[in-house]
Amino acid sequence: MLAAFFRNLLRKKQTEQELDDELRAYLELTTAENMRRGMSPEDALQKARRDLGGVEQVKESVRDVRVGVSLEILMQDIRYALRSLRRNSGFTTVAILTLALGIGANTTIFSVVNGVLLKPLPYPDPDRLVTLWETHPTWGPFLTVAPANFYDWRQQSTSFSRMAALDPYPDFILTGRGEPRRLAGAAVTADFFPLLGVNMALGRGFRATEDHVVVLSYSIWESYFAARTAIVGTGVRLNDEEYTVVGVTPRDFSLVSKTSDFQARTRFDVWTNLGLASPPEAWTRGTHPLSVFGRLKPGISLQQAQAELDGIARNLRRLYRDDNEAKGIAAVPMAEHAVSNVRTALLTLLAAVVMVLLIACANIANLLLTRAAARQKEMALRAALGASRKRLAQQLLTESAVLALLGSGFGLALTLLSVPALIAHLPADLPRIAEISVDGRVLAFTTLITLAIGIVFGLVPMVQSPGVKLNARGVSSGQSSLRSALIVGQVSLALVLLAGAGLMIKSLSVLLQVSPGFQTTHILTARLSLPPRYANGYQFGTGQHRRISVFQRALAERVRALPGVRSAGFTSYLPLAGTNNNWSFFIEGRPPNPPGVYDSTDYRPVTAGYFETIGIPIRRGRSFEDRDDEDHALVVAINEAMARQFWPNENPVGKRLKFGDEHWRTIVGIVGDVHHQGLAIAPVPEMYIPWGQVPNVEVRPTIVVRSFIEPASLTSALRKAVAEVDPEVPMDQVATIDQLVYGSVSEARFRTAVISLFALLALFVAAIGVYGVMSYLVSQRTREFGIRMAVGATRGAVFALILRQGAKLAAIGVAIGLGAAALFGRLIASLLYGVKPLDAATLAGVSILLAAVALFASYVPARRAANADPMDSLRYE
Amino acid sequence: MAESELLQGTLDLLILKSLALQPMHGMGISRRISQTTNGAFDVKAGSLFPALHRMEQAGWLASEWGESETRRRSKFYRLTRTGRSRLQCESHRWERISLAMASALRAT
Repeated sequence: MLAAFFRNLLRKKQTEQELDDELRAYLELTTAENMRRGMSPEDALQKARRDLGGVEQVKESVRDVRVGVSLEILMQDIRYALRSLRRNSGFTTVAILTLALGIGANTTIFSVVNGVLLKPLPYPDPDRLVTLWETHPTWGPFLTVAPANFYDWRQQSTSFSRMAALDPYPDFILTGRGEPRRLAGAAVTADFFPLLGVNMALGRGFRATEDHVVVLSYSIWESYFAARTAIVGTGVRLNDEEYTVVGVTPRDFSLVSKTSDFQARTRFDVWTNLGLASPPEAWTRGTHPLSVFGRLKPGISLQQAQAELDGIARNLRRLYRDDNEAKGIAAVPMAEHAVSNVRTALLTLLAAVVMVLLIACANIANLLLTRAAARQKEMALRAALGASRKRLAQQLLTESAVLALLGSGFGLALTLLSVPALIAHLPADLPRIAEISVDGRVLAFTTLITLAIGIVFGLVPMVQSPGVKLNARGVSSGQSSLRSALIVGQVSLALVLLAGAGLMIKSLSVLLQVSPGFQTTHILTARLSLPPRYANGYQFGTGQHRRISVFQRALAERVRALPGVRSAGFTSYLPLAGTNNNWSFFIEGRPPNPPGVYDSTDYRPVTAGYFETIGIPIRRGRSFEDRDDEDHALVVAINEAMARQFWPNENPVGKRLKFGDEHWRTIVGIVGDVHHQGLAIAPVPEMYIPWGQVPNVEVRPTIVVRSFIEPASLTSALRKAVAEVDPEVPMDQVATIDQLVYGSVSEARFRTAVISLFALLALFVAAIGVYGVMSYLVSQRTREFGIRMAVGATRGAVFALILRQGAKLAAIGVAIGLGAAALFGRLIASLLYGVKPLDAATLAGVSILLAAVALFASYVPARRAANADPMDSLRYE
Repeated sequence: MAESELLQGTLDLLILKSLALQPMHGMGISRRISQTTNGAFDVKAGSLFPALHRMEQAGWLASEWGESETRRRSKFYRLTRTGRSRLQCESHRWERISLAMASALRAT
C-alpha cells in the first residue's frame, strides 16, 4: 500500500504510461476479437471504442482510485489555482486585498483580546489566584481591606495555601542622584511573592518578621542602581531611613491589576515588608488600605472557598460589630477582576471587526459567484471529460484555499505591523498591555478564520451550480437570490455596526459635554511629594503642620509671581486623577448612629486659593483663607451633594461636625459639585478641609496653577520654583487639566474611534457590495430591458424598476439590521452614557444614512440600464 | 444484465474468482466473467480497470507485463495470497447471502 503510494507519487509518468499501454492493449484485443467475429477492421475498432466508453473517462476513474493521488492532485490544483488567479489579476487583487484587510484587522483586535482577556496571568497556576475584598450592601462589592480583618481571614481560613496583602500607599523619595525622584512603593506581606510564584532576579523576597528591608523593581535596579549585582545586602536611604536591599524582582514581573485598584498606580518601583506577622493594633479594623490576594489550595473550588469566607465574615460581624456590621467577603478570580472594566468593550470591538470581515467576505463571495458563472463552460467541459463532481469541488476548494491563504498571509503581515502601532494608541489604563503580542493562540485564530473562509468560499460556487450543467448560458434564479441574500446580510451587518458606532459617538459627546464642575482649560497640575521631615512626629494641634503650610505658601507665592500665572492652590486628591479618600464623621446634635453605621463622605485637604484656581464655585458662605490654620477656628467646606444629603431642609453653614477626635469643625461654605471619579460617575458628597487643619498628616500636595497662557508652557518654570523652595521635593504626574479630562475618557474615546472606523469601513464595503450586485443584475437583464423598452417601456420605468429592486433589498437589510442592532445595543448598554441602547434618533439616522448609500449604489447601475440603447442590448446576446 | 445492477462487492468477487485459475489481462478477465455468468454480466472497461487498480493497491492482486495472444505487451493480473484468502472469505459470504435470499424468496 505504502509502496504503491510512493510509486504513484514518484513514478507518475511511468504509471500513466502503463495505464495507457494497458488500455491500448485492451482496445486492440477487443478489436481483434470483433474481427474474429467477422467484422470489418473499421467496424471492429469502432465497436471496441464504443464498448470501452471513452479512454479519457476510464483513465480519470482509474486515477481517482489511486493511492497518493490526492496529494498529486492537490499540487496540480494549487498550480492550476495560482495560474487562474494570476490570469484574473483584477479579481485576485481585490479579493486578496479585502481579505488581507479583514483578516489583518481581525487578528490585530484578537491579539489585544488575547493578551488582555484570554492569556492566563503570567504566574504559575494562575487559575488558582483570587483577589479578596470586603463587601458592603451600600458601600460596594469590592472594598479594600482592614489590616486586622486580613489577619483574621488568613488565620481562620483553610481554603488557601497562601494569603497575602498589599498596601499601595507608601511613597519613597530618592535623593542625592540629581533631581529628586518619587518611587512608587508597595508594602506587601512576606507571602506575597511566593503566592504569585515570583522567582527573584537577585536575592530573595521577605521574611515574615524582618523590618526595613526592600525589594527593588528590575527597572529601578537598572536605572538607579546601575544593575549592580552586589546591591543585595547593601543599604539604601529611603525617606531618611536605612533599608537593606534583599532582592530584585525579575525583569518581566508586573502585578496585573486594574488602574482603579491602587490609587492610579500601575507599576511599583520598590517593595517593602508590610509585616502583619502578629495581630495588628485594634484600631486597624477601621481603616481599609489593603488589597488582598489568595492562592486556592489544590482541589478547593472557588465556591468552597467562598462558603468558608462567608462563615468567617459572619463570625467577624458578630465579634466586631462597630467595624464589620453588614460586611461580607468576596473572592474573585484575579484574572477576572483585573479585566472586569474592559471585557465588554474589548469583546464589542472583536464582534465589530468580525462583522466587518463578514461584510467583506460577502463582497468576495459575490465576486466568486460572478467568476463561477463565467467559468461554467470550463467546468462543464471538465465534467464532460470525466471529472467527477467531487473532483471539481476539490479544485474549487483548492482555489479558494489558495485565495484565503494568500489573504491571511498578507493579513498576518499587516497584523505584525499594526499591533505595535495599536499598542502605542491603547488607552493607558487598559490592563495587561505588555502581554499583547502575536502568539500561537493568535496564529491559531488566524488559521481558523482562514480555514473557514477558504471552505465557505469554495462551496459558494458549488451551491450556486448544483450538478454542473452543460448549458453554460443564463443565470439560475438560485444565484440571484443568493446574491440578494448577501446584500441583505451586508446591509444589516453594516447597520448594526453603524448603530453601535452612532450610539458610542453620541454617548461620548454627551460625556464630553458633562460639566466636570471645574474649569477645563488653562490649568496645569503637578504632584509633589514632601520628604518625611515634613511629617515626622506629626501630631494634630502641635503646630507641626506649619512646616507644610510654609512650604505651600512659599511655593504658591513664587508661582503666582511667574509671568502668565493667574493663581495657584493645592489639593491632596485631584479630580479625575484616580486618587481618592473617604472619612467618616459625626454631626453635632444628631442622635448617634447604631453601631457599625457611619456617616462618611469623600475627604479633600485643600489650601486657600484652590477653589478659585480650579474654578469650583462657592455657592454659599465663604471660601478658605490663609488664616484657616491650627491657630484659628477649625472650619470645613462641603459640596452641594453633601448639603443635600445631610441637611436636606436646612442651611448647613454654621453647623458643626467632627471626626474621630474631639475637635468640632464649623461649616463655613458650600461649594459646587465635582465629577471626581469620572465624567460618567455622578458627583458624590465631598468635604474640604483647610490643609493647615487636617487631622492626619498629608504630604502629597498636588499643585494646581491657573494661567493666562498655554499651561503646559509653565512646566519648567514650575519645576524651577519647586526646586528653589525645597530641592528635595520631587515633582511628577504633570498634566494640564484638559489632559486629565481627556485621559479620564480615553477608554471610551479609543473604543469609539475604533468602532467608528470599522463602521465606516463596513459602510464603504457594503456600498461596494450593493453596487456590484446591482450592476451584475442589470447586466444579466440587459436583454429583458431591451425588450421592455422596445415594446414601449420608458427609460424612467426601467430606471425605477432597478432602483426599486435596490431599495427593496436595502429595506429588508435595514429591517433585519434594526432587529440585530437592538440586540447589539443591549450588549453594549453598559458602555453607553446618557443614551439608551434603542436611541430612536441614532437608529433612524443610521438607517437613513445606510438606505441613502444603498440607493446611491443602485442609482449608478439603474441609470446605466435606463440609458442603454434597446437595440444594443438586444444585439448583445 | 446491465452493469449498474451489479451488487457492490460482486465485481470484486467475480474478478477474484476469474483469476483463481490463472493470471489474465483485463480483457481476458472481462471475457471470463461474461462466459462464467453465461453473458449475464458484461463488465465495461470503465468499471473493470478502476476495480483492478484498486484491488492491486489493496494487495489482493499483483501484476506483471507479458505478451498477449496478439503478441502485444499486456498487463497480466494474478491473485496474491491475500487475494486468495479474500476470495475464500468472500465466496462463503456470498453463498450465505444467496442461500438466505433464496429461502426468503421461497417463503410464502
